[in-house]
Amino acid sequence: MEPVNLESRVVGVIPSAWGIESAESVVAALQAVGHGPGGFDVIVVGSRHQEEILNIASHSGANSVYRLGGDQTDCAAPEAVAHALGQLLTGSELATRNRLLLTPPGPEGEELAAGLAFHLNGQALGRSLSVQLTETGVRVERLVWGGRKRVTLALDSGLAVACLRSGKPALESKAGSASLHTIDTKIDRLPGFTVEVEETGESLPPVESCKLVISGGRGVGEEGFGILKQIARTTEGALGGSLPAVDAGMVPVGRQVGISGKFVNPELYFAVGISGTPQHMAGISTETRIIAVNKDPEAPIFSVAEAGVVGEWQVLLPEVLKALEA
Amino acid sequence: MNILVLLAGVADNRYPLHELSLTSDGALQESGQTRRILSPFDEGALELALKLRDKNDAVRIDALVMAGPNEEALAKSVAAYKPDSLKVFSLNHTNLWDSVMASSQIATYVKTRNPRPDLVFIGREFGDLDEGSIPVLLAGELGLPYFSLTQYAEWQGDDVRLMRERGLRREWLTLKDSCLATVTNDKRNKLRHPLMKNVMVAKRQTIETAHQASADHGRVVAKELAEPKMVSRTGQCEMLAGSVQEQAQTIARYLKQIKA
Repeated sequence: MEPVNLESRVVGVIPSAWGIESAESVVAALQAVGHGPGGFDVIVVGSRHQEEILNIASHSGANSVYRLGGDQTDCAAPEAVAHALGQLLTGSELATRNRLLLTPPGPEGEELAAGLAFHLNGQALGRSLSVQLTETGVRVERLVWGGRKRVTLALDSGLAVACLRSGKPALESKAGSASLHTIDTKIDRLPGFTVEVEETGESLPPVESCKLVISGGRGVGEEGFGILKQIARTTEGALGGSLPAVDAGMVPVGRQVGISGKFVNPELYFAVGISGTPQHMAGISTETRIIAVNKDPEAPIFSVAEAGVVGEWQVLLPEVLKALEA
Repeated sequence: MNILVLLAGVADNRYPLHELSLTSDGALQESGQTRRILSPFDEGALELALKLRDKNDAVRIDALVMAGPNEEALAKSVAAYKPDSLKVFSLNHTNLWDSVMASSQIATYVKTRNPRPDLVFIGREFGDLDEGSIPVLLAGELGLPYFSLTQYAEWQGDDVRLMRERGLRREWLTLKDSCLATVTNDKRNKLRHPLMKNVMVAKRQTIETAHQASADHGRVVAKELAEPKMVSRTGQCEMLAGSVQEQAQTIARYLKQIKA
């Protein structure tokens, strides 16, 4: 395969199989980091949601947009995407210049970032609070010790791969001067496993792409999560939970919100029995409005909520459900 | 079957953090009273290995606990589960925020072990300084396929099956070859309590330390260690007044607005 030579120092990777929200989050991160001289390029892997994603990329202010198509490029597994891009970019000048690759935020994007770092002999800088280009390298800020400390890390040369959460992208009304390149490629056998698949019976929307998240802490218990689920169904919202609630088996791990779980960016976050620890709040966008219910009037969640009730969920939630169904 | 369980430990978030600082060359200094415990992901990794051994006497569990503050107490908490071997593992010149260097050093050590592991269990995040990169890079360094976010493991006949859930899908992998699996928190892998007699034996146990040196000092340099920035939010919390029914009506209005 002919190596691909990218123009810009900052390059975003969008696996099309991960959907439109994922593509938007990469573009937002590119705009936050690559707004300076040199700009940024975008690589779209696969052909799912092709029209929408190429539209977003071409209105993003990118210098160039590369669409990687061909057999097996619609893969969704992070290790497969990393392998496919590794084949495409190995031998290119990418790894020999001081570049930054940005992948979608979230657990799968972080896995992809590490996989790309391995395949391209780069450095995985992971889930970042901020990313800044320096003259020859990259500086990132990361939360460490469960969100209780912040570390600034510097990589002075070579390829860096990172994830950055930056809210919504600002798209230009007219397509800019981004040149579009289509690369049809043949990927060697992809890594990954043959797995048996069952339905989980899950019917609520995913927590990371819903405009309303109904979320509970461990104190809410099985019974409380039953009511929260009904509220989510009634309002077409997504059900979420804290790490302790996941540990206790009240909500699936795919719905965990927080530093080790999903990052959510809904319009409204209804937090019941959630105290508002830094670990949990790190998973909620600062643009999100919060309504909180907690029996502890000193709970930190009230200092960031728009409205709140100090009270027992056992009394309040059935009434909320009744009011919604009325 | 040889199962290697890699355990990093995290600072216990029920207590204030110990004293942390950086030296002028970016190395981490930790002092003061440190309480390090297994993370929920570490616990899941250990529990899945124990579950597999419960059902099959041919399973051997080798556990490596990362060196660091409070390492002896942390290792002894693992010893109470009676792994077949247990070592504290010390990486020289490495901070776990340099995932490339850390995974390379861990892999170098694991490759020297005999026999090589058939299955490696590791938490999806490896300690307080990793955000999930180390397991992925370690799998690459070891040349092992990688199965992420495992929630449960079981025997099916002579085969081990690993399970994870992704949205609407529950995926089962039947292991045919060696594999590295990351483990995430789940009710089904919550770590059991050890037997008290084993806790007492573990307290008297001497834990061996293995070292993996490297002349490489890594490429990622820590420049600053600080308190997290306060996130500014617009919430001027209005405490909802009135009866429970009135409070519920107001909350319902908020929720209905979004639905609309």
